[in-house]
Amino acid sequence: MKKKNGLSVLLIILILIWLLVPLAVSLIYSLFSNWTGIIPKGFSLDAYQSVLTDPQFLKALGQTILVCIVPILLTNVIVLLTLFTVTAYFPKLEKYVQIICMIPYTVQGVILSVSILSLYVGGSGFFASRLVMLMGAYCIIILPYTYQGIRNSMRAVNMPMLLDAAQMLGCSRIEAFFKVVVPNIMPGIIVSSLLAVGIIFGDYVLIRNLAGSTVTNVQMYLYQVMKADSRKSSATFILIMLVMFLITAVVLVLRSRSEKGKRN
Amino acid sequence: MKRKKYVYLLALLPFIVLTVMYEILPLIGVIAGSFVSDESGAATFTNYTTIFSKLLYQKAVKNSLKISLISSLGGILIAFLGAKSYYEKRGRLGEIFMTILNMVSNFAGIPLAFAYMILLGNAGVMVQFGRLTGIDALANFNLYSSNGMTFMYIYFQIPLATLLLIPAFNGIRKEWQEAALLLGTGSTGFWMKVGIPVLMPSILSSFSVLFANALAAYATAYALMMNMLPLLPIQIAGCFVGDVKMQRGLGSALSVVMMILMVIMIFITNTISKRFQKGAETR
Repeated sequence: MKKKNGLSVLLIILILIWLLVPLAVSLIYSLFSNWTGIIPKGFSLDAYQSVLTDPQFLKALGQTILVCIVPILLTNVIVLLTLFTVTAYFPKLEKYVQIICMIPYTVQGVILSVSILSLYVGGSGFFASRLVMLMGAYCIIILPYTYQGIRNSMRAVNMPMLLDAAQMLGCSRIEAFFKVVVPNIMPGIIVSSLLAVGIIFGDYVLIRNLAGSTVTNVQMYLYQVMKADSRKSSATFILIMLVMFLITAVVLVLRSRSEKGKRN
Repeated sequence: MKRKKYVYLLALLPFIVLTVMYEILPLIGVIAGSFVSDESGAATFTNYTTIFSKLLYQKAVKNSLKISLISSLGGILIAFLGAKSYYEKRGRLGEIFMTILNMVSNFAGIPLAFAYMILLGNAGVMVQFGRLTGIDALANFNLYSSNGMTFMYIYFQIPLATLLLIPAFNGIRKEWQEAALLLGTGSTGFWMKVGIPVLMPSILSSFSVLFANALAAYATAYALMMNMLPLLPIQIAGCFVGDVKMQRGLGSALSVVMMILMVIMIFITNTISKRFQKGAETR
């Protein structure tokens, strides 16, 4: 039994090495100015300094945050409203909502971006705006995650029962929904929103195909500097990964906390 | 009361508007557009005949299929070993493993391509290391080829596949292993005859997720190869965005081909999976 455990440990460690080596190498690369031999030389943080003071980077970062917030807020509100209405008044529609929410899983970025583009690009006005197209596409691409997050938390708190209980105490259903259900499922909403942030933060295909040159994000910035300056891009890379890891860490902490809460 | 209920349908309006405008209409548009000629605007099948007669598109379909299949196979194999080890070990190391899997599950696209260029590109750290130490396999590694791409794709398949497979292992009870041991079957025999068949439906469904994931992967391939290696997603985007005139019909037809490939894979894995589930019932 002992020996078999040893094999498992070895396998896990090998996979971890495989997964971590590209990260570690890029990290070292960004921190040393000269790495041609086996041992890197010339420790310096100038690559980070040049990225963090680059107005292009700051602009890309700002725009990334902007294009994150609007679609996530919008999708959360729409899905909350829809799931509340469907569970409370039209349970028969539930499976259709589910199908529509899960389609983006299989369609994925390339096809979604080109199909939205070809539908709206020729027109004029609000819907032909590149930014509007991009926001719409982001709403759809995060829809499966938002839907699953909210639906699972609604099930976990047993929403129909909460609504009935509140109604018996003299609350209207809508009131009960906003005063009782929404506060209770807030942790679930936060987790799925953070996952959505991760998706939009990591997006390249949608913003490249839909936004053209009107909006950039950090991924597009990385692609630009990648061709010009490999040390500057390795610093950008590390900064992007740091943000991603931070998001994941918060998600993991929130999840484990809610699981502990359930057990108690 | 009845009439009042239908007032609530209004609450569904935002959802309907959003999904119709940005999901359903665009998809219908792509399917319809694939039958419209780019030259004359008339209804036609030429977009599809072009795909299957022009070498560039044949190559794109072939390359995409090959890279997706091999990277999904490689990914699922490593993920199986990883998930099995996690199932047997757990504890502190297991926790670290899970955390890192979650962390790197978003590591794909442009950042991944960049990290691999630093690592294994023409002047990559590992390649230099290989030259210095005389390890030819490293020194001659060519990232900018379909094999190099497959290797890179396997990277982003591993965390996804492992995270998909780990919950499935919870379905394997320790007692089965003990029973198998009592009946004289070793660990390998147990996994071959009991473990893997029980896990097969999960393995197959994970496989089809990986396949779709690799088939549609755009940023990783684009950042590394631009248009040097014909791949389906890159050709699709190239029809709509780029220097040449927009080829809506051809691009739509390529998109439909890609969706059909995904549906075929789901169908195949479902069919095999059902066979395993039936076997489990009669056993």
